[in-house]
Amino acid sequence: MSDAVIVVALLLTAASATAAVAQRDPARQALVLSVLGSVLAVLFTVLQAPDVGLSQLAVGAALTPLLIMLSVRKVRRRGRTHDAAAKDGAR
Amino acid sequence: MAVNGWILAATVCLGGGGAAALWGVTTGPPARRVVAQNMTTSALCPALLLLSQGYGRPAYVDLALLLALLGPVGTLVFARLLGDDLEGGRPSAWGLTWTAAGLSAVVVAAVCAATGPGRAMVKLLVVGALLIAGNVIASRALSGGFRGVRGG
Repeated sequence: MSDAVIVVALLLTAASATAAVAQRDPARQALVLSVLGSVLAVLFTVLQAPDVGLSQLAVGAALTPLLIMLSVRKVRRRGRTHDAAAKDGAR
Repeated sequence: MAVNGWILAATVCLGGGGAAALWGVTTGPPARRVVAQNMTTSALCPALLLLSQGYGRPAYVDLALLLALLGPVGTLVFARLLGDDLEGGRPSAWGLTWTAAGLSAVVVAAVCAATGPGRAMVKLLVVGALLIAGNVIASRALSGGFRGVRGG
């Protein structure tokens, strides 16, 4: 019975990791990545390593998406001001 | 090993909720993706509670506590920083939100009944309250209920 849980958690991890790679937009990748972090924490719990799961939860569910989203926002903002400056220069 | 009902329930919760959340988060418009990401917390946290009961290790409840605390934080991060993409259609899935809250309440009540009164039960109740409150707060933030969250 406990094998079924491990199989389900492994399948979910593999599927979400594949989905995270297959996305094109970084913001959407961050969303899938946060799901992957949570599923990975459950996998660690199922494999009787709750201490690893705790740290994975803290890093994967909140910290990694936050960093990725902050970088995406900064890059987008810089691109916008860049475009505006280029337009002004062309005039 | 005899068939353990708690672990079976956790498997169903994990498989169903996880698969639905994964499908929602990989397809569709950005609004639906964020709602699905929020659903991950409310599907996986009851599964963790059921697992801790099934393995007979009360220490595993800590994981559910941390997930109930950090899951809504992650969703609020997305609600704040994805503001531009969400402007088109504000995601509001109140049916889903209350279904998830009901599932959490049922699971917490069942595990509470199994542990009996004491400190462990208080901890479980705290997890349940955090889970439902976090779910409702994240849903309100996503549907544009908070002005502060909106201005990205």
